Amino acid sequence: MASPYPAEGTIRVDDIGIRFKRNRSGRRSFKDLFADRSRRAKPGEFWAMRHVSFEVAPGEAIGVVGRNGQGKSTLLKLVARVMLPDEGRIEVEGGVAPLIEITGGFVNDLSVRDNVYLTAGLHGMSKREIDAAFDEIIDFAEIADFADTPYKHLSSGMKVRIAFSVIARLEEPILLVDEVLAVGDKAFREKCYRRIDEMLVGGRTLFFVSHNEKDLLRFCRRGLYLDRGELKLDAPIQEVIDRYNADYLVKGA
Amino acid sequence: MTTTTAAPSPAQRRSAAERYWRSLWLLTVRDLRVRYTTSFLGYLWSIIDPLLMACIYYFVFVLVFRRQGTLGEEPYIVFLVSGLLPWMWFSNAVTDCTKAFTREAKLLRSTTIPRTIWVARMVLSKGIEFVISIPVLILFAVVFGAAFHWQTVLWLLAVVLQAALLMGIGLIVAPLVVFFRDLERAIRLVLRLLFYATPIVYSFDQLDHLGAIKTVAAFNPLSGIMGLYRSAFFPQDLDWFSVGASALVAIVLLVVGVFVFRGSIRTVLKEI
Repeated sequence: MASPYPAEGTIRVDDIGIRFKRNRSGRRSFKDLFADRSRRAKPGEFWAMRHVSFEVAPGEAIGVVGRNGQGKSTLLKLVARVMLPDEGRIEVEGGVAPLIEITGGFVNDLSVRDNVYLTAGLHGMSKREIDAAFDEIIDFAEIADFADTPYKHLSSGMKVRIAFSVIARLEEPILLVDEVLAVGDKAFREKCYRRIDEMLVGGRTLFFVSHNEKDLLRFCRRGLYLDRGELKLDAPIQEVIDRYNADYLVKGA
Repeated sequence: MTTTTAAPSPAQRRSAAERYWRSLWLLTVRDLRVRYTTSFLGYLWSIIDPLLMACIYYFVFVLVFRRQGTLGEEPYIVFLVSGLLPWMWFSNAVTDCTKAFTREAKLLRSTTIPRTIWVARMVLSKGIEFVISIPVLILFAVVFGAAFHWQTVLWLLAVVLQAALLMGIGLIVAPLVVFFRDLERAIRLVLRLLFYATPIVYSFDQLDHLGAIKTVAAFNPLSGIMGLYRSAFFPQDLDWFSVGASALVAIVLLVVGVFVFRGSIRTVLKEI
């Protein structure tokens, strides 16, 4: 059984940091462009996240907790590899199904069918795999009559449904969820949750960002509490939520 | 650094190169499909522009200034079209590269395909439009009686050189535009200048009396490439020195482009 490779679904984050410009419209020089990997933040920059380390085992479900602007989404993007850290290393074994900006890849002028093939293809599915999954994807989104309708003519609810449906069908070992589930009606949300449950049972790793305590408790066993770009607590989810509530209530008082 | 050392399960994990081409192809087909399903004239648009320009120059130089025979080669209209079609590929691809990141910001933020694809797809989709406009040139050549020479095979070399050149320029321009939005306009000006600095309405030989300027012009990477395209009908236009210079400049730009792109992508991803 022993494999020389770490198992698919493992996420290893080792002392990562990322910095941003404080003032987006600030004056730029050519030197800023080539982000040097020095450990010092230049004037006008701040570390949005620093010295964060943790490891996620395959099949684990992790919830990320923190107030707005404390680096939750940034962490998710770093794990999804759509952003690169300025220091430290992130190792992600296997592919990622990112429920982030899910409607981003859809083109208004093309039909739903074309869009499904395009988006699923960009996330690494082959044409044959998409052929096989196509009906299921459309059914899940409950838009069977609209497969050949231009995407722009769908209602906003349908748009989100089809987008979720495509990403949720990806056979990747890691699932990233960024509060997208706040959209859609209640019935569809319940369906999405059941789908995530199924995927968890199937052994997927889940990385979940949410403000919703109920959702966090439903899916996650372990929690990460991010505060001011630091990992303040890495513990069972209930403990993390309690700590977060305690801090939040004190600050709110 | 983000590294992936996934356990190999060959059936599922396709090779990196294969995935690169597949994603590139998907996006390119998407571009073309959007273009051809949303506009009524579709295909015609990719040839109307160069044809209109050819008509204008023909009118000005041949009919108004009566420079027939002293400008470029005969038949002048074939000479014009054979230069204008590759120019359209060049200028449209460079213009599109300035929007490579901004136009697809959302997709860029949600997929992990190799990021040079965002530039490569611009070069490829405009390249395909160029290729499908070639029949128009053949039509003109037949109608106006221009002979095809063996040098027609050099088109392959010309296409490869032009693609490499565009890739190099795109890799430099695309990330820079994210930081300096003004660059988008500046590039439009540079393209206009470059149009006249390139042997398109005239031939490279006609720079002979300008001495030093001709030597400088040889390093305009488009000079040699235009010579290659034109040699199919006008073998005397082929100048291997300028072809060599073009190849050299294209390779240098490509290498610089790879470095600029690699060095800046981290910051680009934060900005978009």
